Amino acid sequence: MDRKIKVVIAKLGLDIHWRGVYLVAQYLKEAGMDVVYLGNKFPAEIVEAAIEEDADVVGLSSLSGNHLSLGPIVVDMLREKGLHNVQVFMGGVMPPEHAKRLEKEFGIQKVYLPDTPMEEIISGISTAVKNARLTGPVSYEIKSD
Amino acid sequence: MPDRTNKDQKGPDHLFSGEHIQSIKDQYQDWFNNSLRDADRETEGKYFTHSGIPIKLIHTPADIEGMNYVEDLGFSGQAPYLRGVYPNMYRGRLFTVRQLAGLGAPEDCNERVCYLLDHGATGVSILFDMPTIRGYNSDDPEAEGNVGQCGAAVDSIWDIDAYFKDIDLGKVSSSIVTHLPSTSLVIPAMYFAVAEQRKTPLTQVAGTCQNDFIMETCIGSGYEILPPAVSFRMQCDVVEWICNNVPRWNPISYNGYNLREAGTDAVAEVGIAIANAIATAEELIKRGLKFDDFAPRLSFFWDLHNDFFEEIAKCRASRKVWYKIAKERFGAQQPKSMLMRYHVQTAGVTLPATEPLNNIARSAIQGLAAVLGGGQSLHIDSFDEAYSAPTEEAALVSLRTQQIIQAETGVCSTVDPLAGSYYVEYLTDQMVKRIFDYVEKIEGLGGLVQVVESGWLHREIANYNNKYQQKIENGETKMVGVNFMRADKAKTAPIRVFEYPETYSRQKAKLDRLRKERNDRQVQESLDLLRKKCHTTENLFPYCLEAVKKLATLGEIEELFREEFGLWAFPLL
Repeated sequence: MDRKIKVVIAKLGLDIHWRGVYLVAQYLKEAGMDVVYLGNKFPAEIVEAAIEEDADVVGLSSLSGNHLSLGPIVVDMLREKGLHNVQVFMGGVMPPEHAKRLEKEFGIQKVYLPDTPMEEIISGISTAVKNARLTGPVSYEIKSD
Repeated sequence: MPDRTNKDQKGPDHLFSGEHIQSIKDQYQDWFNNSLRDADRETEGKYFTHSGIPIKLIHTPADIEGMNYVEDLGFSGQAPYLRGVYPNMYRGRLFTVRQLAGLGAPEDCNERVCYLLDHGATGVSILFDMPTIRGYNSDDPEAEGNVGQCGAAVDSIWDIDAYFKDIDLGKVSSSIVTHLPSTSLVIPAMYFAVAEQRKTPLTQVAGTCQNDFIMETCIGSGYEILPPAVSFRMQCDVVEWICNNVPRWNPISYNGYNLREAGTDAVAEVGIAIANAIATAEELIKRGLKFDDFAPRLSFFWDLHNDFFEEIAKCRASRKVWYKIAKERFGAQQPKSMLMRYHVQTAGVTLPATEPLNNIARSAIQGLAAVLGGGQSLHIDSFDEAYSAPTEEAALVSLRTQQIIQAETGVCSTVDPLAGSYYVEYLTDQMVKRIFDYVEKIEGLGGLVQVVESGWLHREIANYNNKYQQKIENGETKMVGVNFMRADKAKTAPIRVFEYPETYSRQKAKLDRLRKERNDRQVQESLDLLRKKCHTTENLFPYCLEAVKKLATLGEIEELFREEFGLWAFPLL
């Protein structure tokens, strides 16, 4: 049997709105995922936790404007550490154009904006992880270059 | 005519006499049994307000049986203040139209504030960016990416000066939305210092700062959080000093609003805020103040959510609860100590991103309820709530909505127009009881600081949110256009969000210049003194005031607090 999907989820930087991120964490748990909620963290700490927890997914919550500045840093740091299979999802309040840019230019797998049903988030994450497990190694190899 | 000497019904002030009530009950039963279809009867017991108060198909005087007009309702400006805090209410003074302003650098905000004042706003409400809210300078590493986003960046007294350029601090009433007590020791100090520089006496300076320790320790999570007892002490320091020195300033705004937005029902929103007011009063009395010295300056902040009548009932009930606590528990002597004055904001959490123009309707209805509830000032949320802090067009629509309520609807012509509605009076009475019960519950668990330290309050919020979300997911709570009557191709809006990427470099340049120009020795001395005072029971406010006058920055003072008091781990649930 596949191991449970492991999600490390954090509030990004100084953002204070914990209602949404906590709810998403609860719903993912109820959907059978293994969820570690970190609270407020900056990118380096989030990546460290992702390594420690052997995460499939990093979830970032941002509702006060640091999505474009800090979100991409998390992806870059993960890739620098060779964690190519860890998928980064974001959720929160931001202009839809920013969400598109995060997905197209900055390697965020998917940004969930307000009004998204929980089911959509759960299935989005499950599918992405399933695909990643099919196409790539599940354990992470540190790139030598 | 009923016998007005009938003593078992409390005498002549009684709204309806015993025999009259009995006849209403009999006829109600008859109507219920004979005029309704089975299907109608079966709906009874299945309708509840948002916070769980049972709603009947029809309400009658029997639901407010025992209510005594003079004692329980009375007149505006008289005990128990349920009908309003001032005798003439909006005929005397309309509610303050207070729209939030704050984006980018202080200089950008100054433009927005002047724009709103030019269009008839009568007060300003200032939002800060996250680094400012949480006590970091714009050039601190933690601030990266958040400078000037969702609010203004403020690092030093220079920024407050720029924010209020060409605005007479003796004339405008400013709501300084400092969330945390620790920053309420600093940013209002900057404001007062600027007023002094401009020769405006502090006796003329009017406004409010939020200063609520629940904001730091419960409502918002944070990266670095001071311990609840420390945050509470700072909250009380701010109240004490301002009450003694800036008589027209409200040194605290008990933040029911953000509690509600974080996740409570209407009962807990008011109950928690009032529990904090009680805790503050007890602490200040312990410090030697009299209740009447500070109570007139305590203010409250309510959220105006969707359940129209319950929200109006909540506002009315909150005044009566506070009156009873002030009078019966603290022995208030001055009428002003028993008045609950509050600001209202419509509920941001009810405003979806989908089809955002619908939010104009939602906010207008909520704004109307706020006015029917008798609030002293109002912010109406903007339709772009789910996208960003209000853009200029959206802010103007909100302002205009307020003015339409004031000038076109006629609702301000008479006091408390829904009084006497059987339903509204029944709800108000229920709210009073339930708020008292909630306060009692908190006190039974050791008081507000204790329930925060233990994580009990965080669990209350989380449990509420789970239930609320479930109802949205399963469609029981309807959101038009989102989970109900959703359009095939639901629209989001082409909202042009304001971005201020240059704020960081502007703030950084200002900070560099400040560090060069200020007298380092004086700054250091003022900070050393403050550091020493942290470990005494002395009030910290005057030492912060001195430090900001010497051009110490917000980040420096907050870092000092973090070093001296240590950090607290937010319960992760």
